[in-house]
Amino acid sequence: MGLFGKLFKGPEIDMEKSNANAAKMRALFDHVVPEGAKYRLIFGYTEDVSRFNFGFVHGSKTKIGNLIVGWDEASKTIVVVPTVPDLSGCGDATFYRQGEILKAYRNKYPTDAFVIYPDKKGYIAINAYDWLDDESLYVYVSQEEELKAFTDFFQSQFATK
Amino acid sequence: MVWSDIAKIILVLLVIVIIGNLWFHFVDGLLEKIKGVLFPPKNSVWHTLPEETKQETEETKQ
Repeated sequence: MGLFGKLFKGPEIDMEKSNANAAKMRALFDHVVPEGAKYRLIFGYTEDVSRFNFGFVHGSKTKIGNLIVGWDEASKTIVVVPTVPDLSGCGDATFYRQGEILKAYRNKYPTDAFVIYPDKKGYIAINAYDWLDDESLYVYVSQEEELKAFTDFFQSQFATK
Repeated sequence: MVWSDIAKIILVLLVIVIIGNLWFHFVDGLLEKIKGVLFPPKNSVWHTLPEETKQETEETKQ
């Protein structure tokens, strides 16, 4: 490959690191979710954006929450487990069963997040991409196939509209 | 003279931006504290990565 080929190739994914993190995600998920092996997994995240505007001065502050998202097609259930970018630990799992939620849909704007309303009181918007480079903010994992499978499942079986 | 005027305007804008950011973080921090007092976070459990998995992933890297 020539110099220009290398320049325009873009960042390469470290598959060794990605595979190690996928194994950690699986271990954490199986640790907190009963029969965790039934679920396929992707990494997702939530964004909490607070905006400020003082005339000349305006901007925003974003808080990122990392998530291990599991889904089981048979029971039409999505399980969300909060975690941290280095996958050193995780919180308790939250279950979203298709028959019990208020509504779920794929957002269009400003992001194509997967939105789930368990009830009228709150919602969760899960953002997911095939790979995110910034290890300080996101879990380093390559998940192109898994993301496609999750998107298909969400839109064909889980979404309510 | 024109350059010094431009520099003064830039300096004033810079000060406004810095003060604005400090003010935002002050108000935001205050709101977070008030929220924390009024609605204390639920005691959620934190699970650490099982030791075997840590060792396995370290071995895989080596």
